[in-house]
Amino acid sequence: MAGAETLIEADNLIRRFSRCEALGGVSFQIRRGEIAALLGPNGSGKTTTLRILATALAPTAGRARVAGYDVTVQSLAVRRRIAYLPENVPLYPEMRVDEYLAFRGRLRGLRGARLATRLRETVEQCGLGDAARRTIGTLSRGYRQRVGLADGLLHEPDVLLLDEPLAGLDPAQVDAVRTLLQGLGPDRCVLFSTHVLAEAERLCHRALILNAGRLAAAKAPAQLAQAGETTFAEAYRRLTTPLPLVRNPGRGRNA
Amino acid sequence: MSAFFPLWRRELGAYFRTSIGYVAGTFFLAIAGLGLWRQAAQLARSAAEGDLTQNLFGTPVYWLALLVATPLLTMRLFAEEHRAGTLETLLAAPVTETQVVLAKFAAACATFALLWLPTLAYAAILRHCGANLPELDWGPVAAAYLGTALVGAFFLALGLLCSLLTRHQAVAAMASLAATGLALSGGRLPFYAHTAPFREFAAAFAATRHLADFTAGIVDTRTVVWYVGGTALLLFVAVRILEARRLR
Repeated sequence: MAGAETLIEADNLIRRFSRCEALGGVSFQIRRGEIAALLGPNGSGKTTTLRILATALAPTAGRARVAGYDVTVQSLAVRRRIAYLPENVPLYPEMRVDEYLAFRGRLRGLRGARLATRLRETVEQCGLGDAARRTIGTLSRGYRQRVGLADGLLHEPDVLLLDEPLAGLDPAQVDAVRTLLQGLGPDRCVLFSTHVLAEAERLCHRALILNAGRLAAAKAPAQLAQAGETTFAEAYRRLTTPLPLVRNPGRGRNA
Repeated sequence: MSAFFPLWRRELGAYFRTSIGYVAGTFFLAIAGLGLWRQAAQLARSAAEGDLTQNLFGTPVYWLALLVATPLLTMRLFAEEHRAGTLETLLAAPVTETQVVLAKFAAACATFALLWLPTLAYAAILRHCGANLPELDWGPVAAAYLGTALVGAFFLALGLLCSLLTRHQAVAAMASLAATGLALSGGRLPFYAHTAPFREFAAAFAATRHLADFTAGIVDTRTVVWYVGGTALLLFVAVRILEARRLR
């Protein structure tokens, strides 16, 4: 992928919330054709990074460009070129799958024969054929995930931003999603967050490891393992500090 | 505006795919039916008391219909999307905040208009049942429907704004009920206020007084501008709030 066009460019991204700093100056680039995994403990800034790139949240400082457009000042142009799937796959439960996908396609400017063709292709690509006429509210977590992915693929975006796309899926469904993402080809890039290290190692070309809002490493899983002369999982543990289960124990009832 | 119509259609469909459209319809038809029953009872006493426009639009029953229907139609518009997380995916699509707000408002207005549709048949129903209905004066009838549309649109915009400010439908409904209730009961304040300047000031903004004027066939340009301007202002504020959430 060396020499390929840069589709995601984060430059010293900082994001502060009222009580904490979620991102403390994160910089990375992802090129066309690349699949990158955002890894890190809970609260390390994975979702915040994805939300900034999806224009759902503005950075406090720093700059991000997606497909060549600034996420803050050219957000509409960015949104035409991305697909964003939040962690809990929010969908309209009262709609049928085919109706929902048609609605999302129309929002992205697809009409007539083009819409019908893309609907047929994505329903087939995501294995939704038998569920296309079902109401979304009756679907399992795995099927809902597939509907979210189908929605993201409808308009053939340059960039896919997926927050925990493997969460809550059974092994067969994980295999299906992995095959789907690997089959997207060299025309786009995928940035997904996950806690499943084994899947990240199998699926991504590069792992971006966040720790307490800072980028601890951005290398291929194999490189990370070699650098520490250990496994990828051990390298990950060495680079990250999980949040304590009990915060400020000294201020508890017995303090 | 290519995204407006898909958004409007989805929003309109959501009223009738979920129970909310039917709940609003049932409440409204029950209240409107009460108005029709009152009309029939008055006609039974004397044809002279059967002023259909006054009985349909100029009574507390009519105000109650407005008061109940508008929060029911607006409470889920943004609160439900916010709670379910669909607002984030909706705004991650290439749509503008203006398109989203206008589409939701237009869908609420269309459903509100659908609720009022059966009232157009009231005169025909009463005549069909043999009532000795006085000749209808179409001027006040048209003015009353115009007034209902203007005040209804204002109340719906108020409810939409309330729905945008919370992720709980019940809170949105309560806030909307309080706001629309204030707009309506505010019209009664002039009668109770002690100072004449306040009575005059409050009277100028009283929804009940405006509605009474419309029902009498009086279409005051200032009133029309007040409701059109107020609705536009509320929708503008809603768009700005939605934009601010992305930039916050």
